[in-house]
Amino acid sequence: MSDNFIERARYLCSLGGAAGTVTALPGGIPILHSASGCAGNFAWTQNGGSGLQVGGYCGSLTTPSSNIQETEVVFGGEDRLREQIKNTLEVMDGGLYVVLTGCVPEVIGDDIFAVVSDFQSAGVPIIGAATGGFRGDSYWGYDLVLQALVRDYLGKGLPKVKGRVNLWGVVPYMDPFWRGNLEGARRLLELVGLEVNSFFTPADTLDAIKQAGSAELNIVVSDIYGQGAAALFQERHGTPFITLPLPVGVSASESFLKAVAAALTLDFARVEDVIAREKRHYYQILDLLTDCYNDMDLQRYAVVVGDANYAVALTRFLADDLGWLPVLTVITDQVREEDQPRLAARVADLASGFQTNLVFETDASEVLGHLNRVWPRSNGQKYYNAFSPAFVVGSSLDRELAQSIGAAHLSVSFPVANRVVLDRGYTGFRGGLRLAEDLLSAIVANR
Amino acid sequence: MSYFDNKVPPKREDRLKAVIAHQDSIGGLAKRCDGKGGKSCLIDDGERGFTQGSICLMLPALAMLNTLPDNVVLLHSAIGCGSCTHSQNANVRMGGNARWGKVKDAVWLTTALNETDVVCGGEGKLEQAIIEADRRYRPATITIVAGCVPGIIGDDIDGVALKIQPQVNARLLPVHCEGFKTKIWATAYDAVYHTIGRNLLQERGVSAAQPEEALQALRTQERLKRTVNLMNVSSMGLVDEQELGRLLTAIGLEVNVFPVFSHPDSFVNATRAALSVSTCPTHDDYFLKYLEERFKVPYLLQHMPIGIDNTSLWLRDVARVFGEEERAERLIAAEEAELKGALAAFRPLFAGKRVFVSAGEFRALATARLLQEIGLEVVGIRSFHHDEFADGEYRKLSAESKSDYVVDIANVQPFEESNLLKRLKPDLFLGHANGNMTAAKLGIPTHVIYNTGLAYIGYKGVYELARRLHRQLSNPIYNENLAQNLRLPYSEKWYAAEPFSYLNTRGGASNE
Repeated sequence: MSDNFIERARYLCSLGGAAGTVTALPGGIPILHSASGCAGNFAWTQNGGSGLQVGGYCGSLTTPSSNIQETEVVFGGEDRLREQIKNTLEVMDGGLYVVLTGCVPEVIGDDIFAVVSDFQSAGVPIIGAATGGFRGDSYWGYDLVLQALVRDYLGKGLPKVKGRVNLWGVVPYMDPFWRGNLEGARRLLELVGLEVNSFFTPADTLDAIKQAGSAELNIVVSDIYGQGAAALFQERHGTPFITLPLPVGVSASESFLKAVAAALTLDFARVEDVIAREKRHYYQILDLLTDCYNDMDLQRYAVVVGDANYAVALTRFLADDLGWLPVLTVITDQVREEDQPRLAARVADLASGFQTNLVFETDASEVLGHLNRVWPRSNGQKYYNAFSPAFVVGSSLDRELAQSIGAAHLSVSFPVANRVVLDRGYTGFRGGLRLAEDLLSAIVANR
Repeated sequence: MSYFDNKVPPKREDRLKAVIAHQDSIGGLAKRCDGKGGKSCLIDDGERGFTQGSICLMLPALAMLNTLPDNVVLLHSAIGCGSCTHSQNANVRMGGNARWGKVKDAVWLTTALNETDVVCGGEGKLEQAIIEADRRYRPATITIVAGCVPGIIGDDIDGVALKIQPQVNARLLPVHCEGFKTKIWATAYDAVYHTIGRNLLQERGVSAAQPEEALQALRTQERLKRTVNLMNVSSMGLVDEQELGRLLTAIGLEVNVFPVFSHPDSFVNATRAALSVSTCPTHDDYFLKYLEERFKVPYLLQHMPIGIDNTSLWLRDVARVFGEEERAERLIAAEEAELKGALAAFRPLFAGKRVFVSAGEFRALATARLLQEIGLEVVGIRSFHHDEFADGEYRKLSAESKSDYVVDIANVQPFEESNLLKRLKPDLFLGHANGNMTAAKLGIPTHVIYNTGLAYIGYKGVYELARRLHRQLSNPIYNENLAQNLRLPYSEKWYAAEPFSYLNTRGGASNE
């Protein structure tokens, strides 16, 4: 990892994450107050990283944008923004308009909130968020949009409704499997009788989002993404939150449900019943793989490379569900030092007892060096305990690593350039089956 | 004084009076172009009061820079600028594989300027980043690409490059891509060529030829007399390069493709060629004028070899320079006859079909002619910008047009397009990458007008494009299904309004 640059950053800026997040909201219309190229940059990035998902109802080059130029840099861009909002309301048909700032207007000091507030006073469903690219990465942009919703859109002082929860922590487009993963996690919660507001699935509505303050618990399936908004939510709406890892596969889903049950004091017997039923189903399906899994020797050493959600969730799945040996786990986000121990704890105490080596490294080209440190290379000896057979679960940027160590490879974490993702997801008991299918299929692809 | 003596190239709205907001018709534009005697079209650029996001010059610039072997792209910008490379990387991988049988990812880095850097400046960080990138990757060149933020806070990337150059092995190439400074993203080509011209065209380490090498040197010189620079700024894939190479070789020429997928150390070869041939003035005028001025390499910059007639015109121009007219005529006659025969099978399906074309100006216009040549009727064009180079193309199209159809000069702006398409109801739409979505969701069969994996150029390109359109039109149900089940985000009020209602309304003014 370099102190001076990030190699092939696996994220956009906060504006990019915010724009994708607003597009993913039901009826969401982002209004970028930025230079003209930002929207196109996001479209190209999604094209290359989000499993071929670009845009949405109002995304890509459809996104309204004030396209500010040198004139605005000199004289300020607030008038231009006002004009752009007014005309957007005429041209674009949306349920919620969200003004998002890029670098340029923030550096020159435009006050977007003054402009936005004038439209709010006129009854327009509009909010704003300061998401200038230099503020952080796209995961933070997601958090900033949720914060804006919490602050300015959600109904205030609503009575809490028993069994109602909000589900956060999966970032649209940055997790190429966001739709499937949200639905998988949502389904888990529905299995134990909860009413779930997940904001970004086809089942979600703006009306329900407006009522989100009535939830008795916020569940954030990420140690990093959405944490800021969850804390603000607690402060503004009095709803506490729990942080759980992304529930990928059977053991993670079981712990997930138990943790939620404990937080909400659900009927434990009922939850145990649900878990037992789902596990029965899972193993009934897995049953038929038994011969080939053993006869074809499908256990693998593994390197896991991914964002803060995936790196730990995939490591646990490989070690505890699939019985693989994830020897190295690489988290590619720029994780603040104070947040690192929480992520390390996620893989420190796995049920299988297997211990990975966790590193924080943004740069794809450095991963091989980390692997060489934890698994020394052969120095030509006759008997060598090789790192083989091996598998790299990461992004499409980790194909070169897989090739160099002769490992099979699957892209799961952003960027996923070489897979088409529609509603596939890896969360939940059934998500574990999907992931097992995809991993093992990569091994037998040339059979 | 040459533009190349300055650190920063001029923007195209200044240098070429290029415009991005204008409503016209094919006949209207042809007439405007006729009326003003060769100078620019003299259209005052408008401004829309409602705009949608598009791209900035950084994106096409990176599309070029990422293909250069042995180059590292170092973005000096906020963290998101340059993330477009995630999609361009597919082109780098596939293009590299097609050319050298080796798949390799591009290497791009970012200084990821943060809030502190915005306040305190990012030059120190950039210096360290350059030094570390040089040590880690050992590249031939590091292209230092500035985004908006350094443009506002005043970081001097040229100054940093000059200061650090003695400490590193890689040659340092500053590239100015401050997006807010120009609305014409084609300025990208000037930005990249500018740094090439300033930094990579000097002869390095050339010594006097030894006697035993004299024959070799003579042979090289003879070859150079018949070598043409074929300019490709990433708008052609290998298959298109090969088609033009095939035609040029057939009239006895050698081809030096430049600059994409060329090693930076080989760029100097461009100064030794007998001629530079562009396939698109939008791309190359800035650099070719410089190559002529500085290195006396003449250039051709007139026709785009897309479509039958335009390909033949392009080839004739080149042949004339080398006195190969006869050979070219024989080739053209044979190629055209063979192609027209092959196209006959597709014509029945194309007959009576109306098409809307959208792309960069020259590409849109040349492709529109191609589509008419294969039997479609053009009913509308959207050009991403307008400048004087396209005058001839508007004239050609106007002379052939059945109606005085609409021309929308717009840096994409799909809201105008949605309105136009609802009115025109074309049977087919050809648009740039990220530009087919509107037509597709309206149920119109669509085809991408530019994709480096597909053939478009030369005679073979005509056939391959016709073949693909025939396939597309043979079962257009995918888009029809989309249209029946999805809606675009535009209001009914907008569809009822005039398509150019927001043109020239910026700042409350209505100046037309």
